[in-house]
Amino acid sequence: MSSSSRSMAGFISQAIVKEVFLFACFAPLTLVLALPASAQKDKPLPKDLPPFGPEKPFQTPRVQQAKLENGLTVWLVSEPGFPKVSYNVVILGGYAADPKERPGLSDLLAATIDQGTASRNARQIAEQLQDAGGDLSASASRDAFSVSAGVLSSKSSEGLAILADVLQNATFPDSEVALAKRNLLDSLESQEADPHFLANRALARVMFGNGPYSVISPTKESLTAATAAELRAEYARRVRPDQALFVAVGDFNADQMLSLVRQQFANWRVPASVAEPPPAAPSTGDLSHAIYFVSRPDSVQTTIELAAFGPKRSDPDYTAALVANAIYGGTFGSRLTSNIREDKGYTYTPGSFLQTFRSAGTLRTQADVRNAVTGPSLNEIFYEMNRLATTSPTDRELEQAKRYLVGIEAIQMQAHSAVAGQLASLWIQGLPPEEIGAYSKKIAAMTAGDVDAAARKYFPASRTAIIAVGEEKVIRDQLALFGLPIHPAP
Amino acid sequence: MENFSPRRLAALLLVCVASPALAQTWRPPTTVKTLPNGLTVVLSEDHSAPTFGLCISYGIGSRLEPEGRSGFAHLFEHMMFEGTPVAEKGIFDRVTESGGGFNNGQTTNDFTQYFESAPISALDALLWLEADRMKTLDFSTKNLDNQRSVVEEEVRVNVLNQPYGLFFAFELPGKAFDKYPNAHNGYGDFKDLDAATISDVESFYEKYYVPGNAVLALVGDFSSDEAFAKIEKYFSAVPAKPAPPRPDVSEGLLTKERRDQETDNLAKVPALAIGYRAPSAETHDALVGAVAGELLHNGQASRLYQALVKEKQVALSVSGGLNFNNYTPFEYKGPTLLGSFIVYPPGKTEDEVLAAYDAVINELARKAPSREELERVTSKMRSDWYDQLGIPVQRAQTLSHFQLLQGSFDRAYAIPEELAKVTPDEVRAFASKYLVKSNRAVINRIPNPSPAAKPGANLAPAPGAGLRFSSVSFNAEPVFGPDPVSGGAQ
Repeated sequence: MSSSSRSMAGFISQAIVKEVFLFACFAPLTLVLALPASAQKDKPLPKDLPPFGPEKPFQTPRVQQAKLENGLTVWLVSEPGFPKVSYNVVILGGYAADPKERPGLSDLLAATIDQGTASRNARQIAEQLQDAGGDLSASASRDAFSVSAGVLSSKSSEGLAILADVLQNATFPDSEVALAKRNLLDSLESQEADPHFLANRALARVMFGNGPYSVISPTKESLTAATAAELRAEYARRVRPDQALFVAVGDFNADQMLSLVRQQFANWRVPASVAEPPPAAPSTGDLSHAIYFVSRPDSVQTTIELAAFGPKRSDPDYTAALVANAIYGGTFGSRLTSNIREDKGYTYTPGSFLQTFRSAGTLRTQADVRNAVTGPSLNEIFYEMNRLATTSPTDRELEQAKRYLVGIEAIQMQAHSAVAGQLASLWIQGLPPEEIGAYSKKIAAMTAGDVDAAARKYFPASRTAIIAVGEEKVIRDQLALFGLPIHPAP
Repeated sequence: MENFSPRRLAALLLVCVASPALAQTWRPPTTVKTLPNGLTVVLSEDHSAPTFGLCISYGIGSRLEPEGRSGFAHLFEHMMFEGTPVAEKGIFDRVTESGGGFNNGQTTNDFTQYFESAPISALDALLWLEADRMKTLDFSTKNLDNQRSVVEEEVRVNVLNQPYGLFFAFELPGKAFDKYPNAHNGYGDFKDLDAATISDVESFYEKYYVPGNAVLALVGDFSSDEAFAKIEKYFSAVPAKPAPPRPDVSEGLLTKERRDQETDNLAKVPALAIGYRAPSAETHDALVGAVAGELLHNGQASRLYQALVKEKQVALSVSGGLNFNNYTPFEYKGPTLLGSFIVYPPGKTEDEVLAAYDAVINELARKAPSREELERVTSKMRSDWYDQLGIPVQRAQTLSHFQLLQGSFDRAYAIPEELAKVTPDEVRAFASKYLVKSNRAVINRIPNPSPAAKPGANLAPAPGAGLRFSSVSFNAEPVFGPDPVSGGAQ
C-alpha cells in the first residue's frame, strides 16, 4: 500500500511527522466567525463565496488518570465506537540516556525488545499480536523509548498482555541480538545514502556538540561493540515503571481497562538503581551562523536545513512562536511556501516547524532544491525569516494562522493514535494532560504583539546554523557569496 | 460513562452485527444519491466531533494519461489548485486554512482525489470552492510553468535524489506490462512534462473533470438532508457531462519470466523488486490475492519476513503485497502487480535471495495455509482496513474510491466480512495460478561501484501516487498511521 501524506502540517505525514508542534484543541472556539477581512495586499475573495458558519464547540478528550504503586502513570481515554484501541507506553530516557560509549544503543534495544520474553519467542509475539490485529512498534527518540500497538478492541486484552510481557520480561536472546546488529549495521550503511538522514545527523551534532541531544542514530562502532548482556543491563536499568507512562485510547470501558492494566503491570518491579536525570540543557550561545556541508556526490538537489534554538514546549512564549511559525513556513499557505514553491518553483518540500525536547527547543526550516537554485533558495529563506523578525504580519495572516492551528488539531485528535501520541509527548515534556484542552484557548488569546515578540526573539536568520547536503562544488560555488564560514559538517 | 457525549451517541448509531466468523462488523450509516448532472454523492453522518471530511475522486489517473504525456495526470492534479476565473491562485488554500482545515490532492493509477477536512463551520465555503473548480479553471501558462517546476522538484526529491528511486513503483511496471497504460511511468519523463502545454491541460479537464466521472463523498457532523441540499445548491450549476468511455487496459498473465539489472548511483545496499501480474480489484481472485499478499508480507509474522530476514538471513527488509506499488490492495481498476521490495545485505547474491523467496512462494502454491494462520492474517487485515475508515477524511476518501471504481461504497464496509470468507485452499490456488515464475518480472538494483565514472545510471523518473505536497511512501502504513513517538522525535 502506498499512503498519503502532507509535509506542511505535520499531518498524515511520514515525511515530516518529526515535529512535536501542533497541539490539541477540543475546547470551544472563541475565534471570529466570519472570513477574515482581506488586507490590502491580499487577493479578493470571490464575491459569492459563502461565509463560515457558526462554530461548534469541540469536546476535550477526557483523560482518566491513575498511578500504580510501582509508579507507573496511567492515562486512559475511552472513546467508544470505532472498534480499535491504541496503546502507547513511553519510558523517559532515549538516545540521551544511552551510555556515552554506546551512542544510539536505544535503536538496538528497540529492535530486540520484542524478540523474545521468558514465555514467548519472537515469532509467537509477532503471531499473537497479528491475531489481535496489531503489530508492535518500538522506537527511540532523544528523550524517550516507546513501545506502541494498535489492536482490534475485541482483542484488546490479548494485545495488552503481549505489550506487558515485552516490557517486563524481555530476554534479548543472543542469536536475535546478533541478527539485529547485522541488520542495523546494513541499515546504517543504507541510511548513509539518504540526504535527510545525513542532514539530520549533521544538524544534531552542530546544535548539540557532544551533548546528550547530539545523537540520532547508532554508529558502526557502537553497534559492533554492543552485546546482548549490555542490552539486558540497560533494559533492567531503564525500562522501569516509575519512569513510564501507559496510554490507551479507544473503544473500551475505562474502569475495565484500568483493572486490566493493574493486572498486567502491578508486578513490574522498580530497580534499585537511581533513575536517569533529565538531560542537561544545551548551551545555546555556542551556535554559530555558519554553513556546514555534507558532500554527497551525484546529488541532483541540495538538501537545506536551518536550525536555531527555540522555545521549549513549557516555555511561556511557545504558543506565540507556534503562531509565528505557521505564518512563516509551517503551513501550505505560509510565506515560505508561497515564495519558494508557489511563486518561484524552487522546491516541492519547503517547511518549518518547532521541534521540542525535555530540555531544549529548536526552530527548523527545510527544503530540497535543485542544484541550480541552491543560493537563491537560501537567500529567500533568510529573507522570509528576517521579514518575520522585523515586520508585523497582517491581521489576516495572524487570524488565519490561529484558526488553522486550532482547527487542524481538532481534526488530528479524531485519530486514536494521534491522541495517544500527543498525550505521550506532553508527558515526556513534563506537562499535564489538561494541556490538550488549554491549547486552543492559548492560541486564540495570542495578540499581534505576542507574535511579534516571539518573531523578533527566535526568527532572525543570523541565529541559524545552516546544513547543506549535496554536491560540494554546487554548495561552495553558490553559498560562498553569503560571506559565512563554510565548514565540513561534524 | 454516565455522560452522554456526542462521541458516545455516534457509537450508539453504529450498527454492530455479530456474525459467527467475525467478532464485529463496523458499518456507519451511509447513503448515495446522484445529481441530475451526473455527480454521485455519498454521505455518512459522524457526530463524534464537529468536523467534516470531504473527498472528490475523479475517474482519471496515471494509467489513462495520453501517450507522450507521461506524468500528466499528476501534473494536472497540481493545476487544480492554481485558481479559477473567480477564485484566484492562493484562495483555495487561504480559505481552507482560515477555516481551520487542510487540503491535499493525490494521483494514483485509477483515480485522482482531492480532499479537505475542517471544522464544520467551513463546510459551505469548501463545497463552494470544489464546485467552482469543477466548472472551469484559470488556464494560465505562468501557473503551468510554476507547477511543472514544482512537480519536477517532487520527482527529484522522491526519485532522482533518493537511493532506489522508488524503482519498484516506477521501473517495475515497465518491465512487467506491455500496454502503455499499465507500463509507463506515471511520475513522468522530464521530456514529457516539459512538452505539456496549456491546451493539454484544457482538453484533459474537458474530457475527464466532468460530473459524470466524479464521486463526492462527505463524512462528518451534519444532517444528510441538509448536506445534500447544500451540495445540490453548489454543484447543480456544473454542466452535465458523462464519464468518457474507458479503454480496455486488460493484459493476460505473462508467459515467460522477465529479468533486469540496474545500477544505482546513490544506494549503498542492493535491492530487488519482484512483480507478478494480478487481476482487477473487483474480482474474487483479487480479494484472495490481497490475503495472499498480506500472508506473505504483512509484519514480522509474515512468511517472507520469517524466512528471508529471520531464518535464512538473506534480506534486511521485505515489504509488498497486492497493488503494493500504487495504493491499497482494494482500490484500483485493471491489471496490477502483486509484488515485493526486498533490501538485501551486500554480501548476498540475487540468486541466494531469489532462491529463498521462491521456496516460500512455492510452499504456498503447494500447500494451503492452516485455518489458524489465515485467521491471524485476516484479523490484522481487518484491523488495518478499519484504519482506512476511522476518521472522517479517510472514510470520505475510501467511500469515494469504492463508489467510483466498483459502483458500491458499501463494499468498503464489507471488506472485513469478505476477508473472513476466504478459504485456505483459495489462497493456495491463487498462489499456484498467479505466483509462478513465468508470470513475473524481477529487477535487481545494485549500487554503482564507481558512481563518478558512470553518471546517470538507469534513473528515469516515474510515480504512482503523486501527492500535491510531501513525499510518497509506499510502505504498508495506514493513511493516518500512528506516529509512535513522542517527545523530541527525530
